[in-house]
This record gives sequence, structure tokens and C-alpha cells, in this order.
Amino acid sequence: MVIMKAMGMESDQEVVQMIGRDPRYGALLLPSIQECAEENVYTQQQALEYLETKVKRFSLSCGPLEKEGRALSIIRNVFLANVLVHDLHFRPKCIYVAVILRRMMEAVLNKDAIDDKHFVKELITHGLERAISTGNWDVKRFKMHKKGMTQVVIRLSFIGTVGHMTRISPQFEKSRKVSGPRALQPSQWGMLCPCDTPEGESCGLVKNLALLTHVTTDDEEGPLISLCHSLGVEDLELLSGEELHASNSFLVMFNGLILGKHRKPQHFATALRKLRRAGIIGEFVSVFVNEKQKCIYIACDGGRVCRPLVIADNGISRVKEHHMKELEVGIRTFNDFLRDGLIEYLDVNEQNNALVCQYPFICGVKYKLVPEVYHNVHISPCGFKNMHFGQSSLLLVAQKHLCVCVNILLLFFLMMWHICYTKKICTFSLFTLTQLWFRQKFVEGTKVHIFETTGSKVHIMIALYEGEAVPETTHIEIEPFTILGVCAGLIPFPHHNQSPRNTYQCAMGKQAMGNIAYNQLCRMDSLLYLLVYPQRPLLTTRTIELIGYDKLGAGQNATVAVMSYSGYDIEDAIVMNKSSLDRGFGRCIVTKKLTVVNQKYADGTMDRIIRPQRVGRDAERMQILDDDGLAAPGEIIRPYDIYINKQSPINKEFSVNSPAGLPDSAYKAATQTYKGPQGETAVVDRVALSSDKDTNLCIKFLIRHTRRPELGDKFSSRHGQKGVCGTIIQQEDFPFSERGICPDLIMNPHGFPSRMTIGKMIELLGGKAGVSCGRFHYGSAFGEPSGHADRVEVISETLVKHGFSYSGKDFIYSGITGSPLQAYIFMGPIYYQKLKHMVLDKMHARASGPRVMLTRQPTEGRSRDGGLRLGEMERDCLLAYGASMLLYERLMVSSDPFEVQVCRVCGLLGYYNHKLKASFCSTCKNGDNISTLKLPYACKLLFQVNCDRVVTVTVHIFAFYLLCSITRVIGG
Amino acid sequence: MDGVVSYQRFPKIKIREVKDEYLKFELRETDASVANALRRVMISEVPTIAIDLVEIEVNSSVLNDEFIAHRLGLIPLTSDRAMSMRFSRDCDACDGDGQCEYCSVEFQLSVRCDQDQTLDVTSQDLISLDPSVVPVDVAARSTSSGFDATENRGIIIVKLRRGQELRLRAIARKGIGKDHAKWSPAATVTFMYEPDIHINEDMMESLSLEDKRNWVESSPTKVFDIDPSTHQVVVVDPEAYTYDEEVIKKAEAMGKPGLVEIYAKDTDFIFTVESTGAIKSSQLVLNAIQVLKQKLDAVRLTEDTEEADEQFGELGAHMRGG
Repeated sequence: MVIMKAMGMESDQEVVQMIGRDPRYGALLLPSIQECAEENVYTQQQALEYLETKVKRFSLSCGPLEKEGRALSIIRNVFLANVLVHDLHFRPKCIYVAVILRRMMEAVLNKDAIDDKHFVKELITHGLERAISTGNWDVKRFKMHKKGMTQVVIRLSFIGTVGHMTRISPQFEKSRKVSGPRALQPSQWGMLCPCDTPEGESCGLVKNLALLTHVTTDDEEGPLISLCHSLGVEDLELLSGEELHASNSFLVMFNGLILGKHRKPQHFATALRKLRRAGIIGEFVSVFVNEKQKCIYIACDGGRVCRPLVIADNGISRVKEHHMKELEVGIRTFNDFLRDGLIEYLDVNEQNNALVCQYPFICGVKYKLVPEVYHNVHISPCGFKNMHFGQSSLLLVAQKHLCVCVNILLLFFLMMWHICYTKKICTFSLFTLTQLWFRQKFVEGTKVHIFETTGSKVHIMIALYEGEAVPETTHIEIEPFTILGVCAGLIPFPHHNQSPRNTYQCAMGKQAMGNIAYNQLCRMDSLLYLLVYPQRPLLTTRTIELIGYDKLGAGQNATVAVMSYSGYDIEDAIVMNKSSLDRGFGRCIVTKKLTVVNQKYADGTMDRIIRPQRVGRDAERMQILDDDGLAAPGEIIRPYDIYINKQSPINKEFSVNSPAGLPDSAYKAATQTYKGPQGETAVVDRVALSSDKDTNLCIKFLIRHTRRPELGDKFSSRHGQKGVCGTIIQQEDFPFSERGICPDLIMNPHGFPSRMTIGKMIELLGGKAGVSCGRFHYGSAFGEPSGHADRVEVISETLVKHGFSYSGKDFIYSGITGSPLQAYIFMGPIYYQKLKHMVLDKMHARASGPRVMLTRQPTEGRSRDGGLRLGEMERDCLLAYGASMLLYERLMVSSDPFEVQVCRVCGLLGYYNHKLKASFCSTCKNGDNISTLKLPYACKLLFQVNCDRVVTVTVHIFAFYLLCSITRVIGG
Repeated sequence: MDGVVSYQRFPKIKIREVKDEYLKFELRETDASVANALRRVMISEVPTIAIDLVEIEVNSSVLNDEFIAHRLGLIPLTSDRAMSMRFSRDCDACDGDGQCEYCSVEFQLSVRCDQDQTLDVTSQDLISLDPSVVPVDVAARSTSSGFDATENRGIIIVKLRRGQELRLRAIARKGIGKDHAKWSPAATVTFMYEPDIHINEDMMESLSLEDKRNWVESSPTKVFDIDPSTHQVVVVDPEAYTYDEEVIKKAEAMGKPGLVEIYAKDTDFIFTVESTGAIKSSQLVLNAIQVLKQKLDAVRLTEDTEEADEQFGELGAHMRGG
């Protein structure tokens, strides 16, 4: 209320009118009005002064700003910065505040009116825009992290790069334990990938765009505003507070601002949409009619997410056969579809005004509904009363008795969506849903229709708008698999997998080695992992083809036998065939960049690179150097080899008249030695000379290392099933079939039951059929009805045709004994990815080694050749076991023993004067009562640090001293 | 050795089909251990020659040195000499550095692309200093048997564009598949138990023609057929049977369990051997038998000597019944 007054709306009546005359609102406003009266705030001036006192409290550091202007400027610039203020003309802002207040109160009175939190993305961009528009974006004051404004593109893998391009990271903190913003919101349907999100703290906050999502660009506002006015929008300035909330007209919001009112909202919206489809206004302009709020939202700003949909007239697609033929021939492009008004972009808001249907056709035949078998099980219509998302209902169109796994999952998935829309907390499980499916009984509040179609294919449609019949469909989904993003699009048959598995794969696909880019061999990345023989997946998806993963793959098609073998395959470990590894399976190239700067110093001197010594002490370590002092490309580089023979001046401080004329004695060696794993042969791949930002000569060495898989290297299929290599076994010991097929790797069948990755099994089947018949099989998400995924029945038929069992199982002989195995083995090709985590980069052990100067404890971490910590819990174990002397020996005697002088009187540490050969206590100023004690150095350090912090630590050593004296007496 | 029954058997081999790189034979009257030993030896212990050491002088191609070296290693070389060659590790003529004629063969490759099209560097560009050890496709071309010479363009090592050059020296050595798959002469070695199929004719006659046809078609491979004249089910190809038990399941589903009984004869094996071309498939089998014999001799010889103690220690004593 004070703020309203501060903005110049001094009359209470005006405020109340502006917000709405409903007595309920009045009651809620009353405390605020009372407060104003109590604080003596009646005029704008008073309000500003009042605010001034409030402002001071939290921004003392703001500096000597003009006293009057401060509250005003905050209101003007920071408070609701998206509403522009011209010449202190606050009326638009007042109205905006009023509308917000009204919504808030509505929310208080009626819980269901709370807006969906569906514009996380938009908030980010708005925040960004606000930062720019106000110009006084103070990072510290708002405690906002500017982090992530720009990011360096990840180049570790092709998928990592593409995935990174589609990433959306929020601005707010990740540490908050709220589930709201992390949940999958219904409005994200089709815009954001439901699978691709990281695990852990940023789960659900970092999102990825779906395949067809488009981020809008800015459109010019001016022409659009005048167009709106000419289409009958009444200007805000001309309206009184009373008229603002008149029920017979709709508020027009333009890019989040209130533009005015319109009396015929649908008319207006239709007109705008027609103009957009005709290409007269920009394709990203969105028009959304919110019946509940009596609002029309028009948006033309950048940073909204939107996606293309096929426009349908009365349920009939505008895209016809001949259009598709033209597309195939190449006469027509995507933009032509857009221009001709066959396809349009809908943003999250406008999507709520549309009735989208998934599949318009059954195998090319337009579907017909059979009304006779139309079971309208409509138990209670109350579910729709309080919905924000228009009146939504879920239509499930399916063949009567069809109930394969796929369909149930789809049904379940859609049910979940439906529940999101209806905001009913869902308690029914997949099982009950299946039961529902069979019995055609439905839970109260849901509205599900089942009807038979002329074709034999399953139909699922999501209706987002009031409307029972299909002719009211306004849009048709381009392809259902486009709701997934790039990373999830790599997974074959993702709709058969347990959903977290797809999420895991989305994270793992980015760690897979393969091709980075076409220029991968010319790049100088600081770290690069490449596969020597990457392959194209035998089981592809349409997404794979669209993004070019089939050309820049990251994996190999391995023949996998699902069986138990040797016990080295427990806990997801895999057994690998040595001959396959010999032939190049899983072989990878790792390149690392080493950079050396030839530094220039302030006094004009600079480092120099000189000819290597060919004889003498360092000659052996300098073998790989060329005469120019740099390592030669193609040379094998071993640990401790010198790769640059650099020298730097000893004295860099005072200036020398002729830097070039510095004598040799003025330089000291500053050679760089290669530190790599022992016993591995890395090669200098390339040497590049460049200059850094300070125009110093910068020498970059690319070190290449080719590795074959070894024990402990990590592999993964495309179904979130990672595992390490447990053992490598000779080919002759591997099982073989009578056709001579011998698997490349063996996977333990225990990986399946708990993970429920049915997609992996189908991938195996499809891959096996693919190699037999010579055709790449498809496994796009939800692709079975549209032919973008092969059906298991068809795959099995292909298998049988080529002499395999329909189940994909083979009769296998043991390679060790030659006798047949007891069971038929599920065997076939699965695309396997080698992940970048390799044992060579991680293995670490140490006996004795470097210590930290300060504490004299062993260093930490592999990179510093650190020790392995024996922590508290390990210590407890030893204590409990009774091995305390072992602890004494390990943690003290062999670790960091230190002899201290302790004063028995004051208990503080003294010192030993080596000159006088006497101990001395500096506190007592004498050396009479000193005892020598052995302590871990860390313990002594602790005492001293505590003293430093004014916490005295005293050591009382009565018992020990007595013991010492007794032994001394006995000893004579 | 009184009272000890001799289990010695006299296996028989019947060769069904011989080609240079393909052999199918029957091994009868023995058991799985013998058949499997033969298979294992063929895969991993028959020696061949393969490139083992590559010295690269110039490599400006797109592939890196290790990559090319790996590819060169995997090119099969004609290895008829392999059995008589020495392993370079126990060659006394050259201190084991693998540079002498007894244990190694030198290859040279020197290609430079001076044209605008990409130039394929193939196994044909490998120049061997020993005419008896050449890449298999080169040998096939000179004898013009096996491959169609016009189709045979060699095994591609790398592709060069204008200005790129590859010059190297490679040393091929004798080795066995156990050490690296490049020395394995076998592409495929597999065997199957010969199936023994008994159709219960009486029960079969009780089926209608339609049922018979259904039953015959239930097998994913063509094992059975119906005689067009007599309408009797006949076994056309017992070896096509993959032990999938589909026909047995089908018979049970039709309510006729025991319609057919199929056993694996555990003494008879049908071997399929495919060679990489390094040695002829027939030679591969012979060499395998020879290697197997040598291995057995090694065991037998050590049995009676003092060496056994050194070699096997307690195990040796245990083996001798001590």
C-alpha cells in the first residue's frame, strides 16, 4: 500500500478500486491500509520518506546518494523493472502492481488459482533482461551469482557438445532442497526433454531442450502494439480502476506488461493467429487466452521456448501427402511449411490453447473413429473445475484388446501427464493402471475414452483443451519422439526402459569416447579422448540420423552374450575377449596438451630455448629434442623426458641494457619434464607455436597415447548400464556357437531384472536381425506406430528367416571344455560406449613419498603422489580390534614423530637450545622442569596454532614423568 | 599296466569340403576334449607370420603411427614358412632382436601421393624382401585363385591426399594367436555335435498333412521336409539343426510329445574351419595336429625325467602318483 502511494496513487479508494471491489479482497487489504494510517503515510511524499528509512537499513554501503531520489529510484529502476517508466509516470506500474496484488489475493482465497510454475526458463531471460535494462545490476546486493552467463563449450565428445548447446541452467541456488522447481512440469511437454537432467544437486534444475524446441528471438514491439490497438485493444490509460476488472472484457498483456483491454478475446486471438500464419507478423509471436484470469497474453520477446506443430483444421492435418512428396524431392523446406501456414511455432502459453494430437494417421490411412464402440467412461466431471490449464482431458484411443508392454507404458506415461494437468495426487500404480486398462473402469476424476479404430494401431492423443471430439483438434504433433532431447534421442527403444535408466544414459552419453568433430585431428584441446575405430550403431533412431551421430559415433557394436562367466562378471563387470581387443575393439587415443610460455620479464630479459646437450648428464633425457630445443613430433616420450630445453634469467629484477647480450651464466635451466604414467609409451603428436595475450611465445605440445582396454576400464551400453572390464579372456576360452560366432564381451544377466532395461534386449534382437538381413534397424522413441521403430514381432520373424531362434537365444558351446552350455544364451550385437574413466588415469599407490611442509603429513591426492588416508572410522576399527600399538606405530612412529620439550610447571612447549645443550621453557624463563616428549608433528602444530588463536593448550605429564623417573632410578 | 582299461581310441577324419580358406570335415569316434583341443590349438597356437615391428620414417597421413602399425599388424601374411621359422625370442642368430632371416621378414613401404584424387595405400604397396612371405591378397592375385583378381584391390592401410607421404620399414615375425590375434591363422573354427534325429513314424503318420507342414515349418532352419510324392516327413539336413528344440516344443504343443527325438552324438563332430589365408585351411588342421602332438610330447617327455620336478614341482610328483 505504501508502495502504491509512493508511486503517486494517494487515494485508498483508487487503490481498492484498482484491485477490485470484492469485499473479500478488501478484507485482505485492510491491514495494509491500517498500517499506512498508523505510520502516517498519506501522500506520495510521506510514502517516499517512509520508504527512505526502510531503504537505509539494508543498504548502508550504497554511498551518498541523493536522499530523496533513492526510494524513488529504487521503485523506478529495480522494483518491477520490466515495466518501463517514462518521466516518473507511474500509472502503468500502479496498474501492474494492482493486477499482481489481485492475483495474489485470488491465490490466497482460492488455492487452485495459483499459476503453474512453468516459466522457469522465461524468468531467467527476464532476469537477464532486467539486468541489462536497469543497468545497475549489482551482483552482490541481490546475492545473485552471475555464474553461467557464458560457458565454455564442452568438447570432450560430440554428444557432450551438442548436449551442452541445448542446456538450460537456472540462476538460483542449487542447494535449496525444494522439489517444486525440480519437478517435471506439464508445460514442459515437448519443450524440454523429460529424461535429460543430471543426477545429484542440480537434478531437475538443469534441463535440456527437446529436439524441435526453438528459442525465440526478439520481434519489434512497436508495430505489434499498434496492430493490437487497431484490432480493438482499448488503451490502459483510458481505463479507470473500475473498468480494469470489468468481467465482460479481457486484459491484454503484452510481453508481461498491461497493454489494455479487449472485449472479444477469442476474436482478437484468432485474428492475430491468422496474421501470424500468413506471415504478416513474426512466427514467434504468441497469443494465449487465459479464460480463468480473463487475460490475453501476447509475447514477441526473445528467450521463450517454443516448438513447431502441424496445424490442423477440424482435426484434419494441413500437411498433405503432396507436401511431403515435395519435401522429399527437395522443392519444399521446413521454412516453406512455416511460410505456407502448415506448421507454426507455439510457445508454452499458446500450447495451452491448442488441442494437440499425437498421430494423425494410421500407416497412411486417415483414422476414422467408430462411435459405436465409444466407451465414454466419465465418472465425475469435477476434476476439471479448478484447472488452470483450460479444460483438459486425456483421450486414449486404442485398439480394444491390444495390451502389449509398450502400450501400457505409454498409457502410464500419458496418465502421469494427465495427473499433472489435473493436479490430482496420483496414487495408482502401473499395476492398477493395467487393471484399469483391462476392466475399462476408471478412477474418479479422470476422464478416459477408449475407442476402437479402423486400423490395428494404437492411438494416443493428448487433448489440452475442452473438447471431446477429435474434429476440435487444432494441432498435430510432428513426431512423438521429438519430446526427447538430443542425448535421450540416442537411446534405442527408450520407451521400453525404466525411466531413470534413460536419465543415466543421458549423463553417460556425454562421457563416451568417439569422434569429437571432423576436425578432431587438427584440434589442440587440452584433453581429448578419441576412439580408434568408432562405428555407427546398428540400431539407430531418427534422432541419431538428424543430429549426425551416425557419422560421428561414440561406440562400437559389440557382440554381447548375456551369461555368467568366470565370476569376474559380478556387479556389472564385463568379461572381454582378448582377440577382439587385439583387433581394435575399445582402442582409444588420448591426447593431452602441454603448454610452455617463453616468458618476457619486466626488465626486458626473457626466457630462451637453446640447443639440447648431446653429451653429458642430461643428454639421455634430451633425446627427443630437436636442435631447436623442442621435442620433435613423432618421438616417443617417456616419463622424466625433457620436452623443452628452456632457460630463464636468474635475475629478472634490475634492468639490463642489452637483454640479448646476457651471458650464459646469467641463465638457469628451466626445462620441462614430462610426467606421465610409468611404462606407457606416449608420443609427441604435434608442436604448435603461438603467442599468448601478453605476446609471449607460447609453445604447445600435443602428447598422444593410444590405449587398449584394460582391466577396470569403464564401458556402457546405451541404456544406463555401465560396468567395468572385470577380466580379459583368450578367444579360445570364450564360448562359441556352431556358426562360429564368438562374443566380444560377456555381460552378466543379473544386470537385467532390477534395471528393467527392456530396450537393451530389443536393441540386441534388432541388432542381430540387422546384421543378418543387412538393414539398419530403428528404435526411435514411441516409434512403433509411425514406423520409426521396428517391432519385436517383425524382428523375430527376420531372425527366424535367417536361421536364428526368434528369441535371440543361441545354442552355445563352452570354449574351455567344448561341451554345450546348459542354457540357450541371449546373444547379439549391442552398441557399447567406452567411457572416459580409465584405470590408467586413476590407479595410484604409494609407500613413502612427499609430505606437506606445514603438517609433515603425507600429501593428498593422486596428482601429488599422495598417501591413502587412514581416517577416523578406520582408526576406530583398529582400536576396537585392540591393535592400538599398530595405530601408534602407523600414525606416530612411522608417520611424523617429533620431539618436544614440555615444561612440567606451566605445561607449555619449550625448546632445546643446541648451543647450550639444554632445554628451556620460555614462559617460566628457566630450564629446570623440562621433559622431552614424542608427539606427532601434527599434534604439536595443533598446540601451537591454538596458542596462536589465544587458546592455551597445556600438557600435564605427571604419570609419564613419574614413569620416566622410575625407569631412570631403576636404570641407575 | 595291468588291470587298466585302455581308453585309446582311433578317431577318424572324413573331409567333406576343401577350399584354400575353407574346410569342413567330420571328426568321429573321439570325444569333446579332443575336438576342443584341436579347435583351441587352431585358434591360438598354430604359428603364423605377422608384422610386429614398424619403423616409421615419414608419416604425413591422417592416421597416426600406432594406428598404422596396428593396421599393418593385422594384415595376414602367407605363413607357410612359419612352422620352420624360429621365434625371435629364442633365435640365436640375432640375439632375439628379430632382424635375421631365420626369424623375421622385412617389409618396406614407400608411398607418396602426387595426384589430386585420394590414393589408397594397400597391402600391395608392402614390398617384402622374402617372396614367400607376402600379404595374402597379393599371393592370391599372383596365383589368381581364390579371389577374383579384378575385385581384389588389396587391404587398405591408409588413404593419402595430395602431398602426403608414408614411408616405413616393417619387420614381420613368427608368433602365435595366444600372444596377439594377428598371429591367429583361423578366422572361424567351430564344431558341432552331429545330431541324431529319430522321427516316430507311426506318430507322424497320425498327423494330417497340414499339421505336418506346420510342424516342419516350426524349425527355424530347414531340417525336415515333406516328400511331395509320399507326403512323408523326411530329414533333409540333420546338420542344419541348431539344437533349438523348436520342433520338440512344437510337437508338445500339438499334443504329440515324442514325435521326434533328437540327441547329440557325443563322439562325432563336424568341424568348420575358415582360414585368414595365412595358411591353407587344410594345412591349418595339419599344423594344429602337429602342434598338439608337440605339446603332448612335451608332457610325456617330462613325465619320466628329473625335469618334471623342476617344471611342475609338487604338481609333477602328484601327477606321477607320488
